[in-house]
Amino acid sequence: MNAVLAEEAQRRAQRLTKALLWGSGAAAVLWFTAAQIGLNPAALVRGVPFMLDFFGRMFPPDLAHLALLRDATIETVQIAVWGTVIAILLSIPLAILGARNTAPHFFVFHLVRLVLNALRSINELVFALIFVAAVGLGPFAGVLAIALHATGMLAKFCAEEIEGVDRGPVEAMQATGAGRLQVILFGIVPQVVPAFVSYAVYRFDVSIRAATILGLVGAGGLGFSLIKTMKLFQYHQTATCILVIFVLVLVSDWLCARIRARIL
Amino acid sequence: MILRIKGLSKVYPGGTQALSSVDIDVPAGQFLVILGPSGAGKSTLMRCINRLVEPTSGQIVFESKEITGPGRDLRATRRQFGMVFQQFNLVKRLSVLTNVLTGRLGYRSVLRSLVYSFPEGDKRIAIECLARVNMERKAFQRADTLSGGEQQRVAIARALAQEPKVILADEPVASLDPKIARQVLTYLRQVAKELGITVLCNLHQVDYAREFGERIVGMSRGSVVFDGAASDLSDQVLRKIYYEQAA
Repeated sequence: MNAVLAEEAQRRAQRLTKALLWGSGAAAVLWFTAAQIGLNPAALVRGVPFMLDFFGRMFPPDLAHLALLRDATIETVQIAVWGTVIAILLSIPLAILGARNTAPHFFVFHLVRLVLNALRSINELVFALIFVAAVGLGPFAGVLAIALHATGMLAKFCAEEIEGVDRGPVEAMQATGAGRLQVILFGIVPQVVPAFVSYAVYRFDVSIRAATILGLVGAGGLGFSLIKTMKLFQYHQTATCILVIFVLVLVSDWLCARIRARIL
Repeated sequence: MILRIKGLSKVYPGGTQALSSVDIDVPAGQFLVILGPSGAGKSTLMRCINRLVEPTSGQIVFESKEITGPGRDLRATRRQFGMVFQQFNLVKRLSVLTNVLTGRLGYRSVLRSLVYSFPEGDKRIAIECLARVNMERKAFQRADTLSGGEQQRVAIARALAQEPKVILADEPVASLDPKIARQVLTYLRQVAKELGITVLCNLHQVDYAREFGERIVGMSRGSVVFDGAASDLSDQVLRKIYYEQAA
């Protein structure tokens, strides 16, 4: 009895020492980092009047500008739709080639995963910069940027889903004398469809958000109006842009949540 | 003899000896029960026959042609053997009819499968197979809405749709309750008789083996330890199959 109590006390002390050690270590790192990146609450406080001034210049939003934003809003949605559609089409074959259990060869598997990781690690804005240079200013560059980045994500998620399928139906398909692709089509695809659709819908939501800022680098959509009005100091119109983006994201979020809830 | 298994051995990577020199001759049309405890090598034996597992050594001769070894037409071989699984292995999200139609995949080109389409002839075969197990009324229901017994009947229909010469049933009733199990085995025996299909059926329950097996092959630790009629299945033989430790 006493021995157990004593051990309990000792373990408690050990836990406490450990927590203190890790805690102080983490605090030191954070403190050092804060100094490095110039975290400065005083600067924030000093900046408050400037922020208020900025908001004051934005307020009230210029609602007359809404009419001008109509086309840009539609374009934003169009960029997101096409970017996502292309990503879906590209990611289906890539997912099959990039899943351990369906890749024709382990070399292909590793190569595809490498490509997918590369696509995922490059931000849409960076892709947009490249494509603006390649195909010129405008929404097409935005579509391509979103398509590539989204392909990286969708294909990776789908490949992982493929790796997690129930082996039973796969074996049953093999036993019928079905070929490799037939086994995938009938034994695997039906198992991953719900998850894939859910990922695709989520990805569309992300694409909408990405499409709202691609205009910053000239790849079409609302972002262009945002940066233009800012550069021209038309802050009332900038506020309208932000408002429209906010509503757009809100609507797409709500819509996608509903669709996903219905699928799952 | 429709099927001759000669000296079949399988060693899995990692060293497990699943089969050691198994010899079985199966005459056409027989309902052969392979009886043995879990781990006796029954599943491996079946999967060697339709080449889901590559045997380490030995021969399998089907209708006087050897089907083991590289360079054989795997699809053509597998088509001849319909398989029924313990866990049914239906594709849950597909309809009953589509599941049965997958039994025709071995005959169809990849191009057509890409659009999930089957010729009308295949559909007629599938519906007929469903009727044989009395499931045609549920043709359009999703497979995962069926009970276990119904799923296994659909799985039998899928195997029949292959128009196989042999059905390999791997513990087909192990996950079903006794009443349903009997019903499923009765269907299996009946359709096999009607169509002249040879059946190899893995079981671990002695009473089903006695009731349904025209002939029983007892396996223990990868070897055949009994081969004879159900009436010769004495207690001594059962001890040998189930309890005897290998020397």
